[in-house]
Amino acid sequence: MVAAPKLKETTEPGFAEVLAEHPDFPRLIALKIDVQRRGVHYTDRALSVVDPAVHQLRSANIFGTRDSTLRTQLPDSLLLRDGTSIVVDPAPLERNPYHVDLIDGRLTITDGGEPLEEVELWHKPAFYDKHTSTGIPMSLIAQARPQRINIFQSSFCYFWAEDDGGCQFCDIVNFTKQQKEIFADRPNRPRARDIAETVREALKEKGRFTTFCLTGGSVLKGEELFDLEVDYYIETLQAIGENFTTKKFPSQLVASAFNERQLARLYEETGLSSYTTDLEVLSERLFEWVCPGKSKEVGYKEWRARLIRAVDIFGRGNVNTGIVGGVELARPYGHQSESEALAATLDEAEYLAEHGVSTIHTVWVPRPGSSFRDQEAPSLDYYIRLAKGLHGLRVKYGLTIDFDDWRRCGNHPDTDLARLL
Amino acid sequence: MPVSLSAEVADLIADPTAAKVLVTTDEDGTPHAVATDFLEIAGDGTILYLEPLESSASNRNLVRSIWYDRRVAIALKGADGRSVQIKGRPVRTHVAGPVFQRHYVDFQERHGDIDLAAVWVIRPEAVHDEDFGRAKAHEEATRPFFRHLDRIAKQPEAAR
Repeated sequence: MVAAPKLKETTEPGFAEVLAEHPDFPRLIALKIDVQRRGVHYTDRALSVVDPAVHQLRSANIFGTRDSTLRTQLPDSLLLRDGTSIVVDPAPLERNPYHVDLIDGRLTITDGGEPLEEVELWHKPAFYDKHTSTGIPMSLIAQARPQRINIFQSSFCYFWAEDDGGCQFCDIVNFTKQQKEIFADRPNRPRARDIAETVREALKEKGRFTTFCLTGGSVLKGEELFDLEVDYYIETLQAIGENFTTKKFPSQLVASAFNERQLARLYEETGLSSYTTDLEVLSERLFEWVCPGKSKEVGYKEWRARLIRAVDIFGRGNVNTGIVGGVELARPYGHQSESEALAATLDEAEYLAEHGVSTIHTVWVPRPGSSFRDQEAPSLDYYIRLAKGLHGLRVKYGLTIDFDDWRRCGNHPDTDLARLL
Repeated sequence: MPVSLSAEVADLIADPTAAKVLVTTDEDGTPHAVATDFLEIAGDGTILYLEPLESSASNRNLVRSIWYDRRVAIALKGADGRSVQIKGRPVRTHVAGPVFQRHYVDFQERHGDIDLAAVWVIRPEAVHDEDFGRAKAHEEATRPFFRHLDRIAKQPEAAR
């Protein structure tokens, strides 16, 4: 007999209790946040209806899992009935995850046995079953979200090359090592030809995709810092662009903080239509601790200045920065209270918004492959306040976030709220 | 509570010559009414609204409806004068996946090069007969105070 795992004890208020404090906040988005925060566990009943021919299982990815073992037979992620994506990975039972169960023939999120919401699994795109002319499975060249094509330029981040240079919450390199055996055919860097072919195949499926997201680890090499990274992205974007009749196509690049010359090259030589470079945490002091490599090579103020300068090139509403929401409370150097963290973060986000830069957040998952593996994410209440605050700044400053919203991305509770704008 | 639509009402929704208006409400409750040709009946008795514009006020209001549990209304009027109002609740939206893609392809075949942002599933909760003749007869029979006296007054004899 296998002993049941010990469940994490919690003194936090329950979901309904927290939501009652925020009657203006959509319940479905609050649920998304909490499911992301706690993770999911698929019951055997739920797994009995997962069909690898129909559903998208966990794909090759850039950032990792909260399970110490990567189980690729599990569903990739979930969709709520309002179209909201929940980008979420399975969590060990002792972490007290939500369950996805099969109730009356419908997949349902439950908590403590109580059914909360029906969910759908993501559907597998047709190109996942195809190979490039060089014989590589296209699912290893590009990955799908419900309406987005992801292309991961590189799963190695050169900030990790130096001891303690990688961001403390990030597991990119460790996760890449973990995936090596499972996705053995995955190229370290997808070739332009394979990308062009994969995109051509993906576009055959009408109504399937609305945008691209390109990202990868930072590449520090080149005549100037990041020049080689820029070259890679230009090559990739040009390969994608071969498939379109228009020069510009809906797309997002999430990359290092490029200088104006590099950004101008990306804008002029490719079809790229938006730019993101992540500050990760909106505090110079915490940036130095949380992102030592970024801090050493570029520095907080210069990273921020590059974001602001990018607005002149890509335009208002087309530039943003991502923060790992909650990492500003990491121990021991983070803010000492949620209210202090929220005030400081929104204050800095407002400075960016004044300059035409949006701030979006993810829900921090302390991943086993990261230095912050033993930390705790903040409360649901905190995330609701953070999402409302960041959304409120976009309203105040008239910033759209179409390129990184509920449909084009689906991983930012604050930009889900932009559906009402 | 969900209600079933009669065959007559379902036919009216499917009738391409019928006038159809979708009414949603904005943040402060102000109604937003749009004439639309993009309503359909689904096999399970729900009504589908195919929204071509992601940025439209109707689409925003439908998001608001599904988030905050607000109802919408649909007014229908056939070429023969039949008129009904349906009140219902958006319970789901298809924005990706096989159901969405099937509608996307079909929508473009019927309407040309326009996008499809969402397939809203509206569950009918009430159907009101809005036929004017029947409504007039009903009011006159049940609310006798709701009429002006001159309508029931003896008419003066015509001048001799």
